[in-house]
Amino acid sequence: MEEKEITPDQSLFIIQSMINTAKNKLADDGFLLIFWGWLVFVSAIVNYILFLLKFEWGFIVWPILMPIGGIITAIYSARSKKKKLVRTYIDKYLGYLWTGFGIAMALALFSLGVCGMKSSYFSLMLLYGFVTFVSGGLLDFKALRIGALFSFAFALGSLFVPELEQFLFLAGSILCSYIIPGHLLRNEFKSQQNV
Amino acid sequence: MFKDLDPVLHSQLRLAVVSILVSVKEAEFTFLKEKTSSTAGNLSVQLQKIKEAGYIEIEKKFKDNYPQTICRITPKGVEAFEKYVKDLQQYINIKK
Repeated sequence: MEEKEITPDQSLFIIQSMINTAKNKLADDGFLLIFWGWLVFVSAIVNYILFLLKFEWGFIVWPILMPIGGIITAIYSARSKKKKLVRTYIDKYLGYLWTGFGIAMALALFSLGVCGMKSSYFSLMLLYGFVTFVSGGLLDFKALRIGALFSFAFALGSLFVPELEQFLFLAGSILCSYIIPGHLLRNEFKSQQNV
Repeated sequence: MFKDLDPVLHSQLRLAVVSILVSVKEAEFTFLKEKTSSTAGNLSVQLQKIKEAGYIEIEKKFKDNYPQTICRITPKGVEAFEKYVKDLQQYINIKK
């Protein structure tokens, strides 16, 4: 970095990039947490209701909504990558963490057909808890870590309830680990942007 | 306006250093050198200028027999940085 005249726009860029480099600034706006949180929550509840109504194809909600979620996530991620002026270490670690989580989720969903609902839903809730616990640590955001503990508790509890109730436990897990912390994260992110 | 921006901070390297120091408790000289991609000589000169303005304090000590230079922002430095950002925002708003 040399000493030379700078414009105000350059000044802003320097400040933003240096602060992002040095400080564990909240690197996530919570959008994907909220988006996936509500998507899974609604899917689980709809599936539960359809089962109660003895609708045989209740699970159909998953293969419809999840791929849509995947497409929207891909578009959103590509757009935010373009907009970002700085890529911090936190961004990088979060990227690896959530990519690994995505792969693990795909395998857990695959296991649904092989091992049955109980063991698969247990794995899903453990994964929700794990990924949000580590993200909470990286972002230094307590609500995510606390939400993750609830998700672990729901996972454990789900082992002792009938299959149908698994949907409610899954909805509870995603509410605590994604939706509530996601909204809190978004509020915090927005308030930091306004400083 | 543009001309009113604090001349101590309105320089690429000095602004970069102060931006880092406002967000961390303290930073070593080597850390600042790495993050700002500057040369040791230039960084030393600029750190001295910021110190003379009272915006940072510099502590020199030894760690495992190696000299260590630690920089911290002072309350005056934080105040100056906040004022600089506000002035910058005003300037950008005027420009818009």
